[in-house]
Amino acid sequence: MKRIFLITIAATVLAGCSKLDEQLGSQLSENTSGSSGAINATVILEGAYEAMRLPYQDQSRVWAAQEHTSDEVIGPTRATDWDDNGVWRVMHSQQWDPNHAFLADTYRDLGRIVFATSDILRFNPTPQEAAEGRMLRAMAMFSLVDGWDQVPYRENTGDPLEVPKVRKGTEALDFIISELNAIIPVLTNGPTNRCNKNGARALLMKAYLNKGVIANRATPAFAAADMNQVITLANTIIAGPYSLTPNYYNNFAPANNSLSTENIWTAENIGGSSSGNVRSRWMCTLHYNQNPSGWNGFTTIADFYNKFSAGDVRRGADFAGQTNVSGIKVGFLVGQQFDQNGVALKDRTGAPLAFTPQVKLTETGSNLEVTGIRVIKYPIDYVGGDNANNDFVYLRLADVMLMKAEAILRGGNDPNGQTPVQLTNMIRTRAAAPALASVSLDQLIDERGRELYWESWRRQDLIRFGKFLQPWNEKPQTDPKVLVFPIPARSLAANPNLVQNPGY
Amino acid sequence: MLMKKSLTPKVWGSLLAIFLLFSTAYAQKTVTGKVTDPNGAAVAGASITVKGGTIGTSTDASGSFSLTLSNDAKTLVITAVGFTKQEMAVEGSDLTNIVLIPAPNDLDEVVVIGYGVARKRDITGAVASVKEKDFNKGVNPAPDQLIQGKVAGVQVVNNSGAPGAGTTFRIRGASSLRAGNGPLFVVDGVQLSNNNTRPDAGLSPELGNSTPGGNPLNFINPADIESMEVLKDASAAAIYGSRGANGVVLITTKKGKTGDARVDVNASVGVANILKRLEVLSGDQYRTALGEFGFPTNVSTAATPTANFGGNVDALDEVLRSGIVQNYGVGFSSGNDNAKYRLSFGYMNQDGIIRKTNFTKYTAGFNSSFKLLNNRRLGLDFSVLTSQIDEDIAPISNNAGFRGSMIGQALQWNPTRPLRKANGDLDIEYGADAVNPLAFSEAYFDNAKVTTVLANVAPSYKITNNLIVRSQIGITYATGTRKNYTTAFINVPDIAFNPNTGRGGEAGISQNELNTQQITNTLSYNADLNKRISLNAVVGHEYIKTTFGGNNSYARNFIPTDRPYTYFMATSDPSSRRLGSFQDPTNELQSFFTRAIVNVDNKYIFTGTLRADGSSKFGENNRYGYFPSLAGAWNIDKENFMEDLRMFTSLKARASWGITGNQDFPAGASQTLYTVFGNNPGLIQQSNTANPNLKWESTTTLNFGLDFAMMANRLTGTFDYFERKTKDILFPRDAADPVAPISATRWENIDGTIANSGLEVTLNYRIIDKQDLSWDFGINATFLKNELTDFAGEIPTGEVTGQGLSGAFAQLIKSGYPINTFYLRQFTGIDKATGISQYQGGDEKFFLGSPNPTMLLGFTTNVGYKKWSLEIAGNGSFGQYIYNNTANAVLAFNNLGKRNIGLSEYETAKSLGERPVNPTSASTRYLESGDFFRLANATVSYRLGDIGKSIRNATVYVTAQNLFILTNFTGFDPEVNVSKPLNGIPSFGMEYTPYPTSRTINFGINFSL
Repeated sequence: MKRIFLITIAATVLAGCSKLDEQLGSQLSENTSGSSGAINATVILEGAYEAMRLPYQDQSRVWAAQEHTSDEVIGPTRATDWDDNGVWRVMHSQQWDPNHAFLADTYRDLGRIVFATSDILRFNPTPQEAAEGRMLRAMAMFSLVDGWDQVPYRENTGDPLEVPKVRKGTEALDFIISELNAIIPVLTNGPTNRCNKNGARALLMKAYLNKGVIANRATPAFAAADMNQVITLANTIIAGPYSLTPNYYNNFAPANNSLSTENIWTAENIGGSSSGNVRSRWMCTLHYNQNPSGWNGFTTIADFYNKFSAGDVRRGADFAGQTNVSGIKVGFLVGQQFDQNGVALKDRTGAPLAFTPQVKLTETGSNLEVTGIRVIKYPIDYVGGDNANNDFVYLRLADVMLMKAEAILRGGNDPNGQTPVQLTNMIRTRAAAPALASVSLDQLIDERGRELYWESWRRQDLIRFGKFLQPWNEKPQTDPKVLVFPIPARSLAANPNLVQNPGY
Repeated sequence: MLMKKSLTPKVWGSLLAIFLLFSTAYAQKTVTGKVTDPNGAAVAGASITVKGGTIGTSTDASGSFSLTLSNDAKTLVITAVGFTKQEMAVEGSDLTNIVLIPAPNDLDEVVVIGYGVARKRDITGAVASVKEKDFNKGVNPAPDQLIQGKVAGVQVVNNSGAPGAGTTFRIRGASSLRAGNGPLFVVDGVQLSNNNTRPDAGLSPELGNSTPGGNPLNFINPADIESMEVLKDASAAAIYGSRGANGVVLITTKKGKTGDARVDVNASVGVANILKRLEVLSGDQYRTALGEFGFPTNVSTAATPTANFGGNVDALDEVLRSGIVQNYGVGFSSGNDNAKYRLSFGYMNQDGIIRKTNFTKYTAGFNSSFKLLNNRRLGLDFSVLTSQIDEDIAPISNNAGFRGSMIGQALQWNPTRPLRKANGDLDIEYGADAVNPLAFSEAYFDNAKVTTVLANVAPSYKITNNLIVRSQIGITYATGTRKNYTTAFINVPDIAFNPNTGRGGEAGISQNELNTQQITNTLSYNADLNKRISLNAVVGHEYIKTTFGGNNSYARNFIPTDRPYTYFMATSDPSSRRLGSFQDPTNELQSFFTRAIVNVDNKYIFTGTLRADGSSKFGENNRYGYFPSLAGAWNIDKENFMEDLRMFTSLKARASWGITGNQDFPAGASQTLYTVFGNNPGLIQQSNTANPNLKWESTTTLNFGLDFAMMANRLTGTFDYFERKTKDILFPRDAADPVAPISATRWENIDGTIANSGLEVTLNYRIIDKQDLSWDFGINATFLKNELTDFAGEIPTGEVTGQGLSGAFAQLIKSGYPINTFYLRQFTGIDKATGISQYQGGDEKFFLGSPNPTMLLGFTTNVGYKKWSLEIAGNGSFGQYIYNNTANAVLAFNNLGKRNIGLSEYETAKSLGERPVNPTSASTRYLESGDFFRLANATVSYRLGDIGKSIRNATVYVTAQNLFILTNFTGFDPEVNVSKPLNGIPSFGMEYTPYPTSRTINFGINFSL
């Protein structure tokens, strides 16, 4: 008996002996790839498109970095609302530091796109898949070099121990330019909501236009050769299938995928099921007592609103499917607000819901709920709920035309003979704004503001036009160090190849 | 009522008298005798009583006594300090030579240690053993609550007041930033997994989607527990290797005992009410306050939140109630020398103090032990514990935004507005922010069921009298199901009925499944090697495999019916549906271990332990970890020079050193992983970055202890000083950008030291020890220090939630400070001119206050008078701070004009000149001292003894739990830990609209058949 027992015990010891190789469950390891594996370039590319949504569509990432830091947006603290540890205040007053939560998250999330799009290249992508991934990567890298000047990248995303290298400034921009030039021949012409040839060209225009800025943000110099590249690319795009959408707001409407004739590159949002946070564009600005009940947060400042002439549809208009549903107009909301039946709305204290042009970073008056002019760029989707149907717009024809006008003003030469004032007036005419007799750089930056407000380009534009450090409402003259954001403290700690930007 | 009160003691008194009457007869006789110790020396002052009676006397200086007793007195009971109680038959015994046996020294008790038992005398480590009689009385759904406040060095925090709520259990402080800080629980040799089988509810994020967890130990019936041992230092815990760093709690269940069949019955009924209310403005005060601060008070339209509806409503009161608690248990046991068994059933039904909350637990357990073969060398132990927990849960989340979860909704409800309209309908205003808490309670249904089976079979064979081989095969299977739905009539966006679609509501069904298999093989040797040296040794092998997985479905926009939406998941809007499932990587742990306890002359004891742990979770370059421990003890009282020092009955010094590990990090953390997305077919993203070097956290512990017993064991005590240093801190570090899309982190063992040191003092004193009167007093105190050093980086946690507080956090983990130290703007007062808060240095933040206590205190006192006994237990915690997120977000004065506010906040604001436009900000204004002392438990019991022929040992009792709490903390209860993590880093010491704590009065009876 004793022997039997010992043998049994010995058997259980042996049976229990394990090599301890971890058996995975609902997650996959890289070895699951291979020729027929589940992990392949196609699915990783979809993951990369998905990874674009948070940094570009959320109100706290690229949009905040480009807009809250400018004269287009202010995020006032309203008693119990929007203190949020001061993140919005320091964005507007340009007092950020390396621990700013949203700037750090933006840097990280743009890096995630760089990672995912580089990862595709390890899984034998088709040339088209590789090109799409590289275009998404070029976009993310462009946002990174524009904001932080330093773009970390991995040679081999499969090596977890690799310390990422860093491309800085012009080196990073040159890489982006070479990547875009390489993939334009491979990319397809459409659809608009996937990476496409003209989208890559428009992005390349941005790269050439800002080349002198990236090299020296405080005193940029613009090379004629770069400006001519911008013009050449613009002419190719303008010759394409685009025209200015007659109704300006249709470019951003819930059905913009079919209504816009102007959008060149967008991110697909599927109403009701799969979207980025594009709805934050209206939720962040609408008052609680409007429909939908918003977050009563961000507004623009009076000086920006005053840049528009009275009849400019971009300043305000009715929009079918919205104004008749809720009384909310598109463009800028100022003064008394009404519901769809024309009944004047009230704020939560019972006072009239009348938005005032004046707004402060910390609101302490009894009217603190209603201060600031509200902005509706994307017409509201009343069907999709949390998942709005509005495709998110990266690049569109009006931007291309204004960039071309700017390139000519900065010394470029248009073989097609268009003038800056012609290009600008085409855009103004669509908006029912009076034509200009001539266009200077100062007028052009204002026109870019009027046309492209809340589209995540303002900070970059103000820097390029040398106006970013100037004072405006609730923002003093600032130190040139703020022309680049600080490298986030946690990113700096994790990578010895990063160095803190000057002044931080 | 008055009559009843004054009568109650009399009723018991009469009962007593009746019993005395029955047991006392009139015929009398006189007996004489003498009491000595085994050496023949007279024992003076021994008391002699008649069993079951009141007559008694005591011995004189020569040990002699004389006692007159009735003719039917059958048995004498002889007791003396320092000796075992002895019973002698009046007839047929030699009363002239009663020899008392010295009381077994407490140190001869056998204590369960990992993979074996040892005499307390032979223990070299810091081990605290709590037996059933010392457990906390009253309603304690989970075993960890039984020893709350009882053991030095152990902090048990009830995370919330909900019945069956989880606890935060820490032994000797926190030693981990991200890996778990809880100990390893071992039930009859089976190690429990840290996975919580109760799934989270499927909830829309609108009201907070992180819900408090249940207690994973709920499945054990506390009435089945015989003892709990807490292994605190490395000498004790190193045998558990890579799972021992946070200490180990061994739970030993009751087994069958030799003797006649026996049935033990316990039954109790109680009632629970809220311990402390938070005062908000009444309707009248609210109207006054609105007027004082310039808000219109004459508005009566529903559209305005400040509207005056004319009422006076206490919304919190409307969702509270008295909760009835019932607890019944029965245990059958029987056995002889070769076969023993025990069978038990338990039923507990606890209504929470918030409406529609309930905790019901069914348990059944069976264990048996056999000695087989002619030589009785083959042993077979078998046990099964089964249970089902059935909970109804309130809509209380950890991270509600401005709409609040139910407690927040009740506190901020406009107190002028009745919750029901004149016609009795609930007042629900669609489109408004304010959610009627009573309506929400009516609309919300949430039920969780967790079913657990823990089965064990352990054959053993006695190869020789000293050498035993044993194999234990244990299986744990647990499955949890949670079904929750919110009906369409509630005015919460995305849930409220949408007249355009004719749909509304939300529902979720989730399920988790946990499976653990364990095989433990041990060979133990226990013998006296010669006259001087004895050896207690074990070698073993163990294999544990854990699998954990689950699935969940969530949907919105149902076609409303009055039936549970979870019955009709298919009527939901297809585009709202979310399907999820997960299966964690299988976790395998394979170990080899050995331990030897050598006792020389009963004076010098040495313990050596070594465990080699291999885990599939560790990176491929670090598959095995080795965990050694060495310890020694010196029974000083056995030394000759102590002969003259009679004050000590025992005196032992201990010292130990050892290394233990913590491997409480997610399975799969060492590999590169890709995750498949359910809602986006074909979408796969990298979710984890590999670290082939990943390993356990390593804690080195030094412990010095002193155990003593004095005054014939009337005073016993233990001192322990410890130092724990944890290195190789496990942390999901920000990987260098660019990083994979889902997880930006990579699990690493990072540099830094978490140091915990402290002193533990335990004293027990029998103040009075007489036949009819005894009084024991026990106290334990722990002094703790916690510090993180040599750590690069700063890690924020302690998310502060609520309106205007996005992105705010309260704690920053940084080198040079205790873990989770608060890091906040420093509030300096209100600017009288503007009515706005001022802060030291504006937006600058400071390290101020730690949530970790510097002193823990527990006391127990027992007074026994004849058949009465009174037991009082209390515990306290000092030096810690709590962040009152409720005051910051819900009760704050600047909410005036939008919703109700706290009364003290209102009064403070008036005295400081604060104005309602004062911006919300997380700051030290809401950081409060968490010092408290709680009278946790008071029990009065009366021993009825045997009733009639069949009922034996009946005892009736009344227990009050949470009688009162002394604290300056302004929230419901300073003993709270609402989970407020940031980026997955756990917080500690945060309070946010939790389920309130209750006070419970419980009446019960125990008896045997």
